[in-house]
Amino acid sequence: MKKRKENKEKLYLSDKPPLTLFGKIGIFLTYVVLFAWVYAIVWPLFQMFVSAFNGKQQQYIMANSNFEFSIRHFQYLFTETLYLTWVKNTLIIAGTTALLTLIVVSFTGYAYSRYRFKGRNASLMAIMLIQTIPTFAGITAYFTMHSIVSSIIPQFSRQMMLILIYTGGAIASNTFILKGYIDSVSTELDDAAKIDGCSNFNVYRLIIMPIARPMLTIIALWSFIGPFMDYLLAKVLLTSPQSYTLAAGLYTLVTDFRTMNQPAFAAGGLLTAVPIVILFIALQKQLVSGLTSGSVKG
Amino acid sequence: MKKLGKISVFLYDNIGNTYERKNKYLLELALLDEKIKNEKDNDLKRKLKKQRREIKKNKSKHSYIISLRDYEKKEKAFLNELKRSKKEYIKSLKEDKTNRKLIKLKTRLFESEKKLTFYKEYIDLSYDAEFEYRKASLDTIHLPKIIEFFIDGQSELSSALAEKEKLKNLDENDFNNEFKRFKAFQKDILKEEKLRIKNLRKQGLISKKAEENRLKEIKKKYDNALEIKKRESKKFANKEFIKTKKYELKKNLKTMTKVLEADISDYRRKTPVEIEKTIPYYSYLTILIPGLGQGLNKQYMKMLLFFIATIFIYLVAVPYALGYGNYQGQGIAGLISLAEGGLRIHKSIIFMIEGIVAVFLSIIAVGILIISFLDVHKVEKNAIKGIRPSNWFETKMTISEEGFPYIVSLPALLIIVFIVLVPIMTTFLLSFTNMDPQHQSKFTWIGLNNYKMIIMGEGLAGKVFWLILGWTVIWTLAATTLAILIGFILALLVNNERIRGKKFFRTIYLLPWAVPAFITIMFFSIMVAPGGVLTEIINNLTGLKVEIKNNPTLTRIALILMQGWLGSSYIFILTTGVLQAIPGDLYEAADMDGATAWDKIRRITVPLVLFQTAPLLVTQYTFNFNNFSAIFLFNGGGPFDPIKYGNLAGSSDILISYIYKLTMDNQYQAIGAAITMFISLGLMIFTFIGFKNSKQFKEGRL
Repeated sequence: MKKRKENKEKLYLSDKPPLTLFGKIGIFLTYVVLFAWVYAIVWPLFQMFVSAFNGKQQQYIMANSNFEFSIRHFQYLFTETLYLTWVKNTLIIAGTTALLTLIVVSFTGYAYSRYRFKGRNASLMAIMLIQTIPTFAGITAYFTMHSIVSSIIPQFSRQMMLILIYTGGAIASNTFILKGYIDSVSTELDDAAKIDGCSNFNVYRLIIMPIARPMLTIIALWSFIGPFMDYLLAKVLLTSPQSYTLAAGLYTLVTDFRTMNQPAFAAGGLLTAVPIVILFIALQKQLVSGLTSGSVKG
Repeated sequence: MKKLGKISVFLYDNIGNTYERKNKYLLELALLDEKIKNEKDNDLKRKLKKQRREIKKNKSKHSYIISLRDYEKKEKAFLNELKRSKKEYIKSLKEDKTNRKLIKLKTRLFESEKKLTFYKEYIDLSYDAEFEYRKASLDTIHLPKIIEFFIDGQSELSSALAEKEKLKNLDENDFNNEFKRFKAFQKDILKEEKLRIKNLRKQGLISKKAEENRLKEIKKKYDNALEIKKRESKKFANKEFIKTKKYELKKNLKTMTKVLEADISDYRRKTPVEIEKTIPYYSYLTILIPGLGQGLNKQYMKMLLFFIATIFIYLVAVPYALGYGNYQGQGIAGLISLAEGGLRIHKSIIFMIEGIVAVFLSIIAVGILIISFLDVHKVEKNAIKGIRPSNWFETKMTISEEGFPYIVSLPALLIIVFIVLVPIMTTFLLSFTNMDPQHQSKFTWIGLNNYKMIIMGEGLAGKVFWLILGWTVIWTLAATTLAILIGFILALLVNNERIRGKKFFRTIYLLPWAVPAFITIMFFSIMVAPGGVLTEIINNLTGLKVEIKNNPTLTRIALILMQGWLGSSYIFILTTGVLQAIPGDLYEAADMDGATAWDKIRRITVPLVLFQTAPLLVTQYTFNFNNFSAIFLFNGGGPFDPIKYGNLAGSSDILISYIYKLTMDNQYQAIGAAITMFISLGLMIFTFIGFKNSKQFKEGRL
């Protein structure tokens, strides 16, 4: 190894032409721009990090205050607020949404990809158009629908309503994504399985599902992350702090005068963001491939 | 093929084969019909018609009909007798009462044998008898084999089970010890191999991929060796044998019966049916009761299914649509009345939603009625032509083949209808009402007034509409374009092959996308608040005392910059993905032709990236058009400017946050709904045009 390094210094081994002066300046400027943007990204996040750990910060996050390492904002978060309840709520809602979406979408994606049935193109077009309407459009109805259903079935909570709304919103676009993915799987596999006596359902379970697993993972992941990111519906639909999701709960730490505590918000935000960021970095490639397949939905 | 109301001379089956009629009476009528049709002379025609009437009148005296009636009588007697003897036969089988499957198979064989001898005499008389005969003959060929297989399998299984009992107390310590030794030995080998492969890798002789593969391979080998060894244990082998045998028995029995049923269906297709009926009137008579027609067609399982649907229609859909079983409303009628003149606690919105639900239920009910009618009609029409109605086995196959996409899409359909469509319909209808703070509980239809107010820019809520729309468009274009530019340029720069630390940059640039947006937006909002970190820095740098959140222009600029920061990440990742997929030889070829770096970007990179990401870029624009979080969480749509914007909106509000404020904070639901519809329509047209132009749509491979 060492030898190679030495060689490299002596010989010009690259197959690229050597850099001119202009080129060198260009590379330098590129680095300047890139690092500037790194700074632009890291700085605000770093500020959040610092504020979360700064014991000197009071209710409002102020500039130029001294720094003193402390975890009291985190303590506040766990003892004075319902942070853990919010985490639990969000996990339940996100998990159920992901599961429901996965079940429903895996069937529709398969059916739309492999079968030519009556009303297929018309319904695809309809799905296309419906998904452009923001979920928010039905907000007035959601309230009333919930009160109607819950008067008949008292167990029907607002969180369940939220789960159904998230699932309903996720069906259309994910059907497109999965359909596009399954389209790229050769139908010869299906035919072979069918000749061997597989039923339609088994063709999906034994052949298509294992192949489509990467995409199914992405769909599950996206629908899982959705409730972590969504603030609007959760805030509007959930009314008691006990039932809040993370987004709605943390929001009360910044806006509500009674519960205002900005450093605690920074701490909570940090705790929420870290696992998601790790997930994103670890699954970067898969997430991106899911996005580009999503281009099917145009 | 032929006109209804006339009896055809020949019969046709599923595949289009032609058959002679066996029913001489019908044949006579058919031949007469043909003659009447071809006869030009009116007198003769009349004569023939009279003859036809005569034959019909004397139907019961017709020689064929007499023999047919005779056959029917005998068949009835035979079937009764068969039922009786079947019972006796089952009793005589008492030795294995518990084995229901076997009894079922045996009785079926018994019946078929009897049928075979009975129906043989009548093959030439009627197609029904012929079909029964063929069915029975198939049974007598297949069933003995099935029964033999079943008995053999069961005896093997029971001997294995007996063996299991015997083995229960067997001490297998010897084997266990041996197995342990064997396992340890194999593990050693595995370890050695692992080490060897790792060494190879260390020496650089094999790649990492090869190393992984080889490791997997030896692990598999190890597992297999253990599995094989395990089978030397008598207990384990016995257990496995029982498991396999049970599975085999179940599966093979199923397949064998399926083959038999399929063979029968084959005869079903090739044996026509003869009926006197010439007009498919069942389907019309039973149109309102799905299931009845299927029953008349002798498709009893199908009948049951449709009866369930009938129950839904007459116990759920119809009463609900008429207002029974509603929470408050009056079914579809509630859509018109909107609780007008109702009790105090009655709410118009509930009446509206229940009305919409009632409409959807009615649509489903009508759909079922149509499906049922079409089904009965088709079967009936086919039967007139001569095609025998399919049996349950075939129907089941059809359902699992052609009905599969419908069945599996059903949950999605239900969720879409009730969670997506009903609310959207509600919003749509709300936009034609006057639901506002004064009319919360009871409101009425006011036609297009809301839309008029919006378009003319009148009224409390309407007058700022165009102002907000203007800013919404500016915001959408500016914020999205900025994000796209930043993301694209950064991706290009990082992708330069001379730049090192690509992984580092790509990870950092991912962050704005990975951190949940609501967190970053709120934190930005904290930072630009008076006394916030960013405000202080700007003030120190410029020496001014700016208050971003109180200055409309500054707020807007800050919003656009923030969204540029947030959105660039996604574009960066997307573009990087595309850039990495561009084949390098394109650039090499360009180099040879003396292209400059700028040329390469302009002629190769930009077109390729744009072509592949265009649809996603479009969704970025629509996303920002509706980017509620950025606007609302940053500054609540503020700062407020009552002179220009009134009390309902702030100067950085976009349409979606304006709708939110109208609907949620100020209870102007109707106007909010109208604006929502306005936006949705715009977006739909936008998407539709984009979709129409997309490759998939044009190539017709949706």
